[in-house]
Amino acid sequence: MTGTDTDTTSGAPAERPRQRPYAVLDGVGKEFTSARTGERETVFDDFSLTVHHGELVAVVGASGTGKTTLLHLVAGLEHPDSGRITLNDGTLADGSPGPTGANGTDGAGPRLGVVFQQPRLLDWLSVRRNVELALTSTGLDPAGASQALADVGLAQYADRYPSVLSGGQRQRAAVARAFAVQPELVLLDEPFSALDQLTARRLRLLLQDLWTARPRTGLLVTHNPLEAAFLADRVIVLEGRPARVHAEFAIDLPRPRAPEDPRVFTHQTEILAALG
Amino acid sequence: MSTVPRHTTVSTAPAPAAPSPPDPAATGPTGSASSAPGRRGRPAPGRAAVRAVLPAAAFFAVLVGGWQLVASRSDNVLVPDVPTVWSALSDTVTQPLFYDSLGATLLRVGLGFALAFVTAVVVGIAMGRVEFVRRFFEPAVLIGLTVPGLVWALLCVIWFGVSLTNPVVAVALSAAPALTLSIYQGTRAMDSELHEMAYVYRFSLTTKLRYLWLPSLLPALLSGARLGLSLSWKVIVLVEMFGMSSGVGYELNNQFAAQNVAGVLSWTLLFALVMAVLEYGVLQSLERRLGRWRKAATV
Repeated sequence: MTGTDTDTTSGAPAERPRQRPYAVLDGVGKEFTSARTGERETVFDDFSLTVHHGELVAVVGASGTGKTTLLHLVAGLEHPDSGRITLNDGTLADGSPGPTGANGTDGAGPRLGVVFQQPRLLDWLSVRRNVELALTSTGLDPAGASQALADVGLAQYADRYPSVLSGGQRQRAAVARAFAVQPELVLLDEPFSALDQLTARRLRLLLQDLWTARPRTGLLVTHNPLEAAFLADRVIVLEGRPARVHAEFAIDLPRPRAPEDPRVFTHQTEILAALG
Repeated sequence: MSTVPRHTTVSTAPAPAAPSPPDPAATGPTGSASSAPGRRGRPAPGRAAVRAVLPAAAFFAVLVGGWQLVASRSDNVLVPDVPTVWSALSDTVTQPLFYDSLGATLLRVGLGFALAFVTAVVVGIAMGRVEFVRRFFEPAVLIGLTVPGLVWALLCVIWFGVSLTNPVVAVALSAAPALTLSIYQGTRAMDSELHEMAYVYRFSLTTKLRYLWLPSLLPALLSGARLGLSLSWKVIVLVEMFGMSSGVGYELNNQFAAQNVAGVLSWTLLFALVMAVLEYGVLQSLERRLGRWRKAATV
């Protein structure tokens, strides 16, 4: 990991002092104009959240609680109306989203690996080229694409077009792309919710394998309590509008975890209860 | 005048992805040998060709036969029979005049079309991205679409005389509105999700243009090009009739003035043939070649 390593003065009131904050949302406010009613809706008001180095935080909540907006804010795809978002001690977006500076193109800002709900591959390029483009764009050697695809079990499909792959394989390719860029922050936006149960389960296990092989910092947005309990170190339940942290659970289970583990199930039940 | 049949092998629309096992990658390489996309589903190429060509051939047989029937019945010098047209046709093809005229016409169309294409790409994309630009150019596109090519031809003859500017501007004015509309719609239909992906992976501007914009807009560019070209052919003939002293339209007008119906027909047929080769041969094969990744989905 890059960045400062003697950061003790600033930071959130740490419940565990050894943890360094990586992504900090500080008093973030975000409003939307509803497309249907034309009224202003406040999604976030003075919302704060900290993701620590090497931690995978899952954000769980019903639809419309601003989970995806939260992820977009962290990814820099949207800018907060007020408050600050800092990644790795560098300001990513502040209250005044200017046309320059705020959006860190040209390799400025931390490297992100994002898995969306849909694979979002370029259909006119082979799977390998898709990964290679992400690698060259972040200034990495495109030769790493083969290994990244092998890691997700797509070595023999590398030269196919995404359209001939199954949905699960396409999402594997998206996961490969996200991890190939050696991301400082992994953002997962309902990554497996468009897949059938069995495929989603396999991909969760794959994600866990990738994570245990090389722990990273991540933010997972999901509506699936089992997914959150199985994958995350900490689960945050969002509720209401503007969104508030309704409950928070630490999942102190060693990896690798088994999806059938009764402790995972216990946590799932807790999260479900908090979701109401 | 158009005797060009519409072929039935145009469709390159993406077919729904074939149903496949949920995630074969997880189960290992067991099915790799048998699942290689083969050609077993396709009919034999010879039979397919016959099936594709046969209806068109039947159409031409009916057309020629019917023409001959009418010509022999009417016995009128203004309705020449098939052998007369055929000899006029072979006469025209063997003249160097035909190739000079065709060259002049194609040059004018090429320049005018290129001008229209460049303008339409810039304006169309800007319209798709910026609300103000869209509202600004919308009336222009609408008016441009409704003004007949004949009017552009007349105006350009009046304004630019016999210079090369005349046909080039006339062609550009007739083709640009339809092209602009097509590219604007293509821009609107672009996938905003892919733009988000390109943003989070820090794609550079050149990468975005080359791998996101161009492939996304390609169907719109090609269909717009075909539409624009077909409009260009129609207006160039008019311009050459009124205002030029060379080109296919000029020669057509000469044949008309001489009341040589066989000559008019042979020039028209040959011109239509060249345009069909350009449109169906060049543009469509380009479309197929660049759409290979779509084809892959159907095997």
